[in-house]
Amino acid sequence: MTRVLVVDDSLSVARQLEKIISESGDFTCVGHAKNGAEAIRMNHTENPDIICMDMNMPGMDGLTALRTLSVMDKDVKVVMVTSLGGVGDKFTEALKLGAKNVISKPFGADDVLRILREL
Amino acid sequence: MAVKFFGQYLVEQGTITMDGLRNAVELQEKRNLKLGELAMEMGLISVADIQLAHNEQMTRDVKLGDLLVDRGLLSPAQLNDLLVRQKNNHLYIGEALIQTGALTETSLREHLESFSATQAIYAPTGTRLPITTGNDPLWEMCLDLTCSMVTRVLDLKHRPGTCMPITTIHPNHMLAAMELQGDVTARFIISVSEKLQKTIARAMLSEWSVEHEPAEILEDTVREFANVICGNIAAKASQAGVVMDILPPYTVQVPPAGLPTPDGYGSFIFPIHLEDGDTLELILLIQE
Repeated sequence: MTRVLVVDDSLSVARQLEKIISESGDFTCVGHAKNGAEAIRMNHTENPDIICMDMNMPGMDGLTALRTLSVMDKDVKVVMVTSLGGVGDKFTEALKLGAKNVISKPFGADDVLRILREL
Repeated sequence: MAVKFFGQYLVEQGTITMDGLRNAVELQEKRNLKLGELAMEMGLISVADIQLAHNEQMTRDVKLGDLLVDRGLLSPAQLNDLLVRQKNNHLYIGEALIQTGALTETSLREHLESFSATQAIYAPTGTRLPITTGNDPLWEMCLDLTCSMVTRVLDLKHRPGTCMPITTIHPNHMLAAMELQGDVTARFIISVSEKLQKTIARAMLSEWSVEHEPAEILEDTVREFANVICGNIAAKASQAGVVMDILPPYTVQVPPAGLPTPDGYGSFIFPIHLEDGDTLELILLIQE
């Protein structure tokens, strides 16, 4: 099973992601962090293979956490989750920082699993 | 009297019953196929094609037909044929009421005239702001995009009301806000009733019922709905060369007496009247 950490301040989005991941059969959700700082901590304790992380969160946002993770852990694959529709400076920056892909909100199970399986 | 749909008006006038309206609406739903349904009925596309297109539509402000052509699933000629068929076969509520025996042709004409007269004062101004802000096309795009997301995410028919300047934000069941910052600065707020909050929650969670969901999840779905709209606004603004960042959504607490709009901001309310009689209020506070 591929281990996935969900990072989103939105309870409803996190719940949806966790449900999609846990019902997929080939992924398992190892936890839910509510901001970038928690994500960095949980990356250390839970050792996920993939992190699905919201870009726009209060406290440490997704891009700042991605910047840190890209230096601290070269193995973890980070997929950003955003409502920005695939354009804009944040999207470009995420890709430059090594994000493997971007999931656009709102998403369906097919979109999420297709992106995770392509990693 | 407020902004009404014709069927709702007839029920309130006592001309037809709620059951009569329901029968007519059911007939409309059977006859008025959506573009995707029509294309599937004609064997041009599959259910999977529609699902993929709908998912893509949530993050792209593009019509389903154009998206299907972009993806090579329909030819431009097939799309045109579908649109003509859809238009020619559309059953309006008045005609549906006649076909289900709730109205006669004569009474339909009479009631349409009186309905038009009562609704004239609510005729929308389009999405024009009542005063100029210097970035009118941008803010008008916000209004248009919010309407689009009501259609595409909530799958609700709606009718835009008249945009008005305001000095006080009135309380409602819930208000969710987002800050838009960059080349322009504004606060985007949506104000919803309890019923609309549940409608939004059902759509955002893809659940049939949200009756047992905790209040924090219901609130969160409205904030996320605002987030989805503002993300699309920022993306579209970016395509037009306007840099706009969005901050995380939050809930606005409004005291019973209302919340004065901040100094130095042009403040507007834009009611979007929904088919079920509810209203989504979009409030824009635009820094001058």
